[in-house]
This record gives sequence, C-alpha cells and structure tokens, in this order.
Amino acid sequence: MKPEELVGIVGWGSYIPRYRLPLSEITRVWGFNPEQPRELDVSEKSVAGLDEDSITMGWEAALNALRRAGVNPREIGAVWFGTESKPYAVKPSATVIAEALGITPSTMASDLEFACRAASEAMRISIGAVASGLVKYALVIGSDTAQANPGDVLEYTASSAATAFIIGPSGESAAIFEASYTYVTDTPDFWRRSVSPYPLHGEAFTGEPAYFHHIVGAVKGLMEKTGLKPGDFDYAIFHQPNGKFPVQVARMLGIPPEKVKPGLVTPMIGNSYNSSALIGLSKVLDEAKPGSRILLAPFGSGAGSDAYSIVVTDKVVEKRGRAPRVVDYLARKKIIDYAFYAKSRGLIKRIG
Amino acid sequence: MRFSVPRYWRERHSYYRLKAAKCLDCGRVTYPYTERCRFCGSSRVVEVELVNEKARLLTYTVIYSAGEGFEDKKPVVIGIVETEESKARLLARITDVDVEELKTGILLEPVLRRINEDGESGLIYYLIAYRPVLKTG
Repeated sequence: MKPEELVGIVGWGSYIPRYRLPLSEITRVWGFNPEQPRELDVSEKSVAGLDEDSITMGWEAALNALRRAGVNPREIGAVWFGTESKPYAVKPSATVIAEALGITPSTMASDLEFACRAASEAMRISIGAVASGLVKYALVIGSDTAQANPGDVLEYTASSAATAFIIGPSGESAAIFEASYTYVTDTPDFWRRSVSPYPLHGEAFTGEPAYFHHIVGAVKGLMEKTGLKPGDFDYAIFHQPNGKFPVQVARMLGIPPEKVKPGLVTPMIGNSYNSSALIGLSKVLDEAKPGSRILLAPFGSGAGSDAYSIVVTDKVVEKRGRAPRVVDYLARKKIIDYAFYAKSRGLIKRIG
Repeated sequence: MRFSVPRYWRERHSYYRLKAAKCLDCGRVTYPYTERCRFCGSSRVVEVELVNEKARLLTYTVIYSAGEGFEDKKPVVIGIVETEESKARLLARITDVDVEELKTGILLEPVLRRINEDGESGLIYYLIAYRPVLKTG
C-alpha cells in the first residue's frame, strides 16, 4: 500500500479577515490602468486588521480544523506552519499556535518557508509522518499577510488569509490522499532578501518558466505515477496568484474551467500565498459530494509545485457543520479605502 | 505600556486560553486564575478555560487618545464581557467592530489577536480579544 492511502484530512478550516480593499482603490491611488483588475480577474483583496498577523489568522484556521476533526489537541504530534510573513525572523510561530490551542508540550513544531508552497510541503511531510506511525495527527497551517511594495503590480493581489488541516489516519478522514508528487527547480521568479520588507519578482520568470512549468510538471508527474487522467477529477484546484492563471493552467492540462471555478477564491480575496490553493481545497471540502476526486496543485516561487489526488469520503458531511465555511468568511466583509489599508498594514510612519 | 517578558510568559495561559479559577464552594469563576475565589474567599478552586465560550458585551469604552505603544492602533475599544456558560466577567479588547456597531448585549466570540509589541525588535504580545460572532449559513 502507498503511504498516501493510509492518510487523509481529518479536519479542515480557513480564516479570512473582514476587511476588503477594492482593487479600484489601488488603480486610483497609483494611476494604474483601471482595466488591470479585470485582466487579473480579481475585484477585491482581503486585508488583515491592525491586530492580526499570520499567527493570529493561522490560529483561527487551525481552531476551525480542530473543531471539524473532533480530536483532542494533545494527540497532535506535529504543528507545521507554512508562511512567508513570519511575525518573527527567529522564534517559531508554530509554538505560539500550539500553545494557544492546547497542543503543547509533546509535539513537533516548526515554521517552513518555500514562498507560497511551504504549507503544501508540510502536507507532504505529514503524509509520511502519519503513515509511518511517527505521529497520529499533524496540524498543517498555511497563513500569510502577504507583503507588496506599495505601487508595485504585486500590490493588486497580495492579500491575507489562512487555511489549516488536521492530517491523520484515513479511517477518520473526510478526504483521503490517493497519491502525491512534487516537482522543484531553482528558478528566480520571486524572492525577498532577509533585510527587505517587500519581495521582488523577475518579471519574465513569473509565468511560463515558473508557475506554468512547475504546476504542469507536478500534475503530469502525478498522472504518470497513478495512471489517472484529467477526466478522472471532479475538481481541480491550483495555486491562485490571480483569477486567470488557474484557468489557463487547467486548459494546458485539458481540464475544463467549470472544474476549477468551485475552488477559485482569489477573485474575491486576492492571493493569500500559503493559503492560496489550500483555501480552494477548504472551500471544495465545504461543498463536495462524497466520492468526488480532487486534483490539488499548490505552487511556490523559487520554484516548485506539488500535485495531490484526494478522494472525498462520507465523513465530510458530518464534519462540515462543525466550523464556519469559507463562504461564511467571504460573506463577512467591510469595504475599506486605501488610507485604511495603509494604516492596517503599517504603511504609515508616525513619529513620537 | 510595556509588558514584562517574564510575566507574559508566566501568564500565557491566561492570555491564550483564558485560564480561570472555578470555585467548588460558591461555583463562581474568577478570571484570571487565582488560588483563592475572589467572591467567597474559598481556596477550593479548580482550573478552567474560558476560551471556548462566547460572551456578552456588558459595557465598553472607546479610547481615542491611546496610551504609549497603542498610538498606531487608535481608536481602541475595550469592554467588560460576561462569558455565556461560566458567567465569568473579564476586561478585554473588542475587535473587528466599527464604533457605530457597538451596543451592550451583543454576542461576542474569543479570537487570538496581536495586542501589542515592544517596538520593532521586542516581543510580540498575543492575547484573546472578542469580536462579534461570525454569522454562519
């Protein structure tokens, strides 16, 4: 038996902050072409409040995942936190969340970094850890308050949200991993040096050699490994830097847009980085029928992609109502202007 | 205002999980946890956590002239809340709410928030705050 088949998603949960910045505010302030948000297929982005960061958002997503899992927090043997917006450069975020959720002290805990796919790497690691019996449950969190240089094109989409999964035995799971595959290379499409508050991106690298090449590589690798074909999947969820790329990569793989749309959250909240593809999976688990097969392919700059085949079980139905769904958080929103956004994200410098 | 790092560490379960003392004699709950019941003086108390309870807003104030360390966060909303099951009363930050939405009696739920930090290099302080209950469909 493959390790994946012993392991599944016992609980899932997400969090989206209440504030939304219409992208028209960014075009207004910086004098950009007003058509650009439509070209990206993103209308608003979620913005973390003044008292929020990747730890607080990750805490709420993890709490929702724990509620759905219905497991004792002390049975969790690993807390892996994927982010590129760590509140501390040195001091783990995972231990704050583990302590606040009553998981400590008998657990592994660490923060992982691989641009937008660190939490996905954590998911693959957790498959191995659970399948081997090293831990019974692992908590995987993807959470980001994504940064963008004010006035940079990245500012359109860099948003805030979190998603978490309790990975555990397949017999208790709402969805079971069928197979997984990872494809990475050294590609300079996007980076942030340790001294820099904002990332840079290698313009020509962000599309073809990065996003499309790695996701196609991972998905094709998964299909070769399993014999599965595009038509075998009911849903396809890809990393969502904007609303257009996931539909384009689906087309390249022979997957129709209607299988992508249910897991496409970026048009409403922007790109939440480590939560970007994972919040799509969270939303699909909120809605999918038992027996559905899901293709999940997160991507991270630098660059790499993972492809997973995930099959939904009957247990998804009873677990759904135990925590707020992604649509509940999408519905809770307060529209803000650029000034409020600037204050919330620390772009205003006061003295005294 | 600066927190003390040792005190924050010592009291982290009061801040993260709302560790409180339930009195085995009078049944009332004291937050934060103390060895002796604040209401009847009994030392027969057990540890409970209030972090899973919703709460009602009993009263509140909006601080427009915030103190040291909170200048960037104005206006700051502070309230006294009463938890639904334990009927414990505590002073807490109220968040994710517009001043015009504030009303005594509204139902709130606990959320972990980044309340303050010691400048750009010091420790970050996470505490439970309360926000209006999320509507679920």
